[in-house]
Amino acid sequence: MQSSSKSNGQALARTWRLINLAGPFLGLVLVVGLFSLSPSVRPYFLTGANFKIILTQTVIVAMGALGMTLIIVSGGIDLSVGSVVALTSVVGATALLKGSGAWGVVGLSIAVGAGIGLVNGLVIGGLRMMPFIVTLGMMGIARGTAKWLSGNQTVNAPDSPINGIMDLKDPTLLFPLPFGVWITLGLAVLMAVVMRGTVFGRYIFALGSNENAARLCGIRVNLQKVKIYCAAGIFFGLAGLMQLSRLTQGDPTVAIGLELDIIAAVVIGGASLSGGSGSILGSMIGALTMAVLRNGSNQMGWPTYMQEIIIGVVIIIAVGLDKLRQHTLKSGR
Amino acid sequence: MPALSQRLLVVILCFRAFFNAHTAEQSYTIAVIPKGTTHEFWKSVNAGAVKAQRELTSQGTKIDLIWKGPLREDDRDQQIQVVENFMARHASAIVLAPLDSQALVRPVRNAVQAKVPVVIIDSDLKSDEYVSFVATDNYKGGQLAGDQMGKLLNGSGNVILLRYAVGSASTEAREAGFVDVLKTKYPAIKLISSDQHAGATREMAYQTSQNLLNRFGREVNGIFCPCEPPTIAMTKALRDLGLAGGKVKMVGFDAGSQSVLDMKNGDVQALVVQNPLLMGYLGVVTAVKHLKGEKVEKRIDTGVVLVTPENMNEPEIKDLLYPPLSRYLN
Repeated sequence: MQSSSKSNGQALARTWRLINLAGPFLGLVLVVGLFSLSPSVRPYFLTGANFKIILTQTVIVAMGALGMTLIIVSGGIDLSVGSVVALTSVVGATALLKGSGAWGVVGLSIAVGAGIGLVNGLVIGGLRMMPFIVTLGMMGIARGTAKWLSGNQTVNAPDSPINGIMDLKDPTLLFPLPFGVWITLGLAVLMAVVMRGTVFGRYIFALGSNENAARLCGIRVNLQKVKIYCAAGIFFGLAGLMQLSRLTQGDPTVAIGLELDIIAAVVIGGASLSGGSGSILGSMIGALTMAVLRNGSNQMGWPTYMQEIIIGVVIIIAVGLDKLRQHTLKSGR
Repeated sequence: MPALSQRLLVVILCFRAFFNAHTAEQSYTIAVIPKGTTHEFWKSVNAGAVKAQRELTSQGTKIDLIWKGPLREDDRDQQIQVVENFMARHASAIVLAPLDSQALVRPVRNAVQAKVPVVIIDSDLKSDEYVSFVATDNYKGGQLAGDQMGKLLNGSGNVILLRYAVGSASTEAREAGFVDVLKTKYPAIKLISSDQHAGATREMAYQTSQNLLNRFGREVNGIFCPCEPPTIAMTKALRDLGLAGGKVKMVGFDAGSQSVLDMKNGDVQALVVQNPLLMGYLGVVTAVKHLKGEKVEKRIDTGVVLVTPENMNEPEIKDLLYPPLSRYLN
């Protein structure tokens, strides 16, 4: 009896793992299919040129989702991403104005993102404070600093190679893809390997599954947290760099609420907000799904409120699926 | 699986053929992209676009009109996305009110590269790749406001200019016109505050107004706000402090229904009113003219009018103050 229920549980777990993996894919296919149904939109929607645009529009959310996946899998959360993106874009534009070179700006963006991540990590790990509250505070600090540095104005940077990172170049063809898309793809592959194949990656999952158990196993939990938030910060800084390239200016009011889009992308991608599960691939698909939804509803001419409602529904379904999975796993055991 | 994808391909090709047959008639898809969708100003622009659509359709040119603002209002990145998405959809033309004079330059260039012509309305763009710029002469509007302020204060007093937002070309031109007239024609009028920006929402504008009045409320004689949200917010803040009703002369911009009500009640002394309905109308008409190969002016002025409590009941002013929205929008 016991063994049958155990194997039953294993089968269930296997099924759910499959759904977990396939779910985000299915969602994306469903959304693409939905917009392909309309004969008036399809000839434009299913084109290389349009997918180039969708991919370009995904870059900023995807870059943020790379960092956010680390944090959410480890059982944390970061609400300061939008503000960090704004701050980085302002710092980058200001540096360009002061005559800094493109590589200098890249380094500076990474440094700003990593620096804020480091502070978040030190406070969360060192003082054992709730990530939600700490990063909520940082959200205000970074946004305020961005407005302060920019004198409450957009910073119009001179033309530089930075602007080329997100340039569509020829908007009628799929290739060449903007450089930013390739960077994001490359980093996604790298992070997927890090999450699956390195000790650091396994520690992240261990932390998110059961922090106390991880501590008892001899993992230096607080140190790992600092590392995680700092590493994630690098991606948030890069997202800011992409934003700067896209707007060709530093804007202290940009990306308000971006963190919610990013969290939604990670959750749609199958991560659990209670930590311990999630994947880079899933998060990337989640980010892509949101961009496709926006792109498609624009082209269908759906009113803006419809988009907001649909994205909201998608998020709730994704989280509902996650809840159901945990519930079944527990009762299966 | 290959059979399925083949079948799909056939279906797609069929639809393509169907679509191509369709475009052989005179039929255009025009995407109109405002800065936002909740302010009344943009509803008038929308009404004007619908008016143009109806007129052109009755003349035998079928227009599909798509009205689409950025998902998050006043978010430049979101507006860029909307422009890109309509470029990919191969709209026949885009009519755009750019949120920023620089950030939207590249998306417009991309659209032009993809053979989607762009007509700019309301706010200027630092580019010359657009077909035409259809807008109020905002500098003139600001001068009109400055002149009226000078008359209301008999040439002397303390004035506050509450600016709108940085990077918004239209309001910056109004602010410049206002300041220039005061400096040249009314040297005895002192600008005691002209460096505060109200921000995009009415709530933010309200807070800024309260803070400004807290500091300058005792010495101020006149206030100018360069568009709808700060005008309404500042009037409300004046009313809170008992400074409304003409104690502090209030000159605003745009005819939101709240501003018009405030003028009726005597809390606003003058409004500079543009013609957003005409802007939406001419934006679409100009785009279609260009698509048909006709020559269009690079700059089209849609006019400004000074509205005061004295002239607000004249019929042509009434049409500006109460635009016939319900005739065009449901």
